[in-house]
Amino acid sequence: MKATAEEYDFHQRILARDDPVAFAALAEWLYNPLVQDVRRRAGSHADPALVEEAVGEALLDYHDHPERYIPNRASLRSYLAMAAHRDYQNAFAKELRVSGRQVSLFDPAFREQDIVGSQEMIDSQLQEEELWQRIDEVFPDPTERRIVKLILNKTRSPEPYAQVLGLCHLPYDERIREVRRVKYRITKRLRRGIAQQLDRIGGNVQ
Amino acid sequence: MNRNSPSLERLAQLAQGRPNLLAGALSLYKEQEGLDDEQLAALLGCEPAALSRLALCERPRPAPHFREDVERIATYIHADLMQLAMLIRAAESREALSKRPGEDSPVLLAARDYEEFEETRTGEEEPSDG
Repeated sequence: MKATAEEYDFHQRILARDDPVAFAALAEWLYNPLVQDVRRRAGSHADPALVEEAVGEALLDYHDHPERYIPNRASLRSYLAMAAHRDYQNAFAKELRVSGRQVSLFDPAFREQDIVGSQEMIDSQLQEEELWQRIDEVFPDPTERRIVKLILNKTRSPEPYAQVLGLCHLPYDERIREVRRVKYRITKRLRRGIAQQLDRIGGNVQ
Repeated sequence: MNRNSPSLERLAQLAQGRPNLLAGALSLYKEQEGLDDEQLAALLGCEPAALSRLALCERPRPAPHFREDVERIATYIHADLMQLAMLIRAAESREALSKRPGEDSPVLLAARDYEEFEETRTGEEEPSDG
C-alpha cells in the first residue's frame, strides 16, 4: 500500500526541511498508533519500554534520513512499524544475549532458575524452597520481597519496580534513577544472603 | 505520567541526542534553571503537555527565517511568541556555553537572529512621525 495523502504531505514537509513543526506533528499523529502496531506484532509479553524505545528510534531515524522512505512502496505507518519492530527484535535479542550470560550469582541480573536450574552443584545444595526461605530471612520487608521477586523473574522494565516502590509520581528520569539504586542495593543483599546460605551448607558460588 | 500508556514524553527524551531538534537545548535549560515542566510551561504560556511537542520541533533556522520559524512553533504549541523566542535564544546560548571552546555551534547564530528579530519587532512598533 502506498503512502496516504496525509502521509505524503508530511513526508514532503519533512524532506523540505523548512517546516519546524512537521516532524513534531507527524510524531504526535503516528506515535501512539505505531506503539500499538509494534506491541501487536511483538506479542503480549513485549516489554512496553522496549517497544516505545524502538518506535522512538524508528521515528527519529526517519527524521534523520527521510529520503530512505519511498512513498510508492509502502505507507509511512507500515514503513515505520516495520523499522520499529526490527529495532524491537534487535533490542530484545540483545537483552536475551545479556541475560544468557548472567548465570553467576555475582551478576546483578541473575534469576532463580539460573541458580537452581543451570548449575548442578547448586541444584543439589540449594533447593528452591531453601532459597525462598533464605530470601524471607534476608528481606523481612514485603515491599523488598516484591522487588526481589521482580528481579528473580528478570523483569527489565522499570515500571513494575516503580509501582511496587510507589515512585510513579516522580519525573521519569528521577524514577529510573531511584529504581536502579534500589535494584542495585537489593541485588547486593540478595547475593550476599545466598552466598552465606551456601557457605553454611558447604557449597561454593562462582 | 502513566508509563503504561505511550506518550511523546519518552520520544522527546530520546530526541535529546538529535542536534537539529529542540529537545537537547530545552532539557539543558530546564536543568540549569532548575525548572520543572509546569514552571517552563507557565513561562511560555502553554500547557505542560505541549512541551514534548516543542522538544520535537526543529531548531529555528537562521535569519531571515528565524522569526517565521518561531512563529510557527508558537502557533503549534499555543505559546507566547516573545517568550518562546527568548527561551530558544537562552536555551541555545546555554548550550553553546556548555560546549568546548571552538566547537562548531549554530547557537550564536540563533542568538544573533533573535536580536535581528527583536530589532524588526521594535521597528514595527515604533510610532510613525506623521
